[in-house]
Amino acid sequence: MEPVIEVNRSPMECTSVSITAPIWQDILAQAMTGELLAAMNYTSLSEMCDDPAEIADALEHAQGERGHAAAFAAEGRKIGVDVTNNVDAKHWKRLREAFLRCIAERDFIACLIVQEIMLESFAVASYSRVGKVAPGTLGKTFARIAAEEEDHVDHAMSILRAERARDVQRFDEKVHRLHLDVMTTLAQMLAKECKDGHCEVCHHTCVKPALFDISLSAAELRGASLQQYLKTLDMLGIPGEVTLAWVTQLPV
Amino acid sequence: MNVDFALIGHQESWRAAADVIAVLRGPERTPLPDDEIKDILPWIPPRAVCHVDVGSIAGMQACGLYIDSFIPPDRLEAAYVHENIARVRKAAACAIKAGAKIVSLGGFSSILIEGNFDQLPERNDTVFTTGNTLTVAFIVQGIKKMCDLEGRDLSQSTLLIVGATGDVGSGCARCLAPLVKRILLGARNVERLHRLAAELQADGVQVELAAHLQRFLVAADVVICAASLPSPSLLLGRVAPDALICDAGYPKNLSPRAEMPGARVFFGGLGQITGGMKFAPDFNGVLNRHPFPDVVHGCLLEGIALALERRFEPFSQGRGAITPQRVEEMEIIAARHGIYLAPLYNADGPVANSLHCHAEWSTR
Repeated sequence: MEPVIEVNRSPMECTSVSITAPIWQDILAQAMTGELLAAMNYTSLSEMCDDPAEIADALEHAQGERGHAAAFAAEGRKIGVDVTNNVDAKHWKRLREAFLRCIAERDFIACLIVQEIMLESFAVASYSRVGKVAPGTLGKTFARIAAEEEDHVDHAMSILRAERARDVQRFDEKVHRLHLDVMTTLAQMLAKECKDGHCEVCHHTCVKPALFDISLSAAELRGASLQQYLKTLDMLGIPGEVTLAWVTQLPV
Repeated sequence: MNVDFALIGHQESWRAAADVIAVLRGPERTPLPDDEIKDILPWIPPRAVCHVDVGSIAGMQACGLYIDSFIPPDRLEAAYVHENIARVRKAAACAIKAGAKIVSLGGFSSILIEGNFDQLPERNDTVFTTGNTLTVAFIVQGIKKMCDLEGRDLSQSTLLIVGATGDVGSGCARCLAPLVKRILLGARNVERLHRLAAELQADGVQVELAAHLQRFLVAADVVICAASLPSPSLLLGRVAPDALICDAGYPKNLSPRAEMPGARVFFGGLGQITGGMKFAPDFNGVLNRHPFPDVVHGCLLEGIALALERRFEPFSQGRGAITPQRVEEMEIIAARHGIYLAPLYNADGPVANSLHCHAEWSTR
């Protein structure tokens, strides 16, 4: 599978992370794939919108996500690794398909819920954790992009809160339906071990067991992501006891 | 929804935490393995877990919420105190946001906050009680009941209180000191020990105090364990071979390694609500893990009793303010709504002969 964007190569900027470079390479590949998928989602959203302001907004977001992907690629070059991507990898493909179903239904609110609440919660939390342990500019880039993704969530929150106020039950049912679809896939991605084979993004074997070498763990990334998701659902106003049950029912 | 009360708690063991998660997952899903529970639980933010509806024998009803702070059972040590206070604060914020009129603080939630009420979030119309007064009431009632059952003369007893300077320990000391022959106060903070001893001695009580339990000169024959221990690790050392021991800790104080074959141990500070209690979803037997129905820790029952009484006030606050008069006042409120001392039990099951007081309803 060809990568969605081709990254310009520049001379390697090898740093002290050379021993752990293969781990960072896989982390960057996952992050880059996620950003490109988000860019594709925002582009699809722009094609569905009628309001010129909404179209411009979606395209701006898509451009921003492509910028994030390029930033991750650049960080890879600095440590001497080639960061590839695969938006057709099995989990990412399922996430894209879930989003496209919302597009097919011309359901703008569902698109926001999937992209801004579910996928961005995952991005904000995991990038933040990676940002804390990654050395030098790599850590700074992850932290900066985490902060920018958080702004996306804030942007969507006012729209979604207003939508929920119109019909609480209908809105919560919609979130639950999308949760079952999207969060089940994300939970499988975040499982401590990839039980159903290679994820098709990591270069060789699964990176998860090696995360301990950079003071991270798959359990930590999953925990932080689901915590961020719960907090985001709290901000929407969905009762905490309801969302707790949703999250505990996800596969592990 | 009208929320009369909120109960803030946490699980004292991984087994209990796993059972809570299993109920949330539902019977159709496989329970999570222990390692997954240990990985997931620390990340769960404090939040409501279920609704709790209670009834009073006087005909009142009260609706409430159980909010779990999700403090991991192995993180109750002092090293985690700031993290745990933050969790209790967030749980308190959930109660306030839900509009709870009164909030009871269970287990370590109360210990963390009893001296730090100013650390709770902006409260609006919500009041907080540690619930310690009713806990003291049930501990004292339990001691008296066990003495009656076993024909022991409390007035000739030497009472040891472990954790004597805590809110619960000092409350028990004030209530029981006039009723025993001698009282031994054990706690780590020597300054507070001296202060409590002086207060009791002023009333003519024979007091001995020690920061280390091995240093007491006499052996106690009645013991109350009310220390803030992160796990059951207490070894009592020298007590009478047939001592009566009330373990009122949450988590329990007594170490499973404490070999006292002749001692009579029971769990203290528990009450039973006889007007009915319903959880939604059904956490019955999971949040109240006792061999009898509708048994709850006194600290949580205090908030329920005050809600049924429509007396939304911070009845128990701070440390060291529990007096026999306040305990009696709380006992009267609780009894008015059918909240009584629970049938006594220990790790092996019900304590024989302790069921007769409320036998008609306690074994429903």
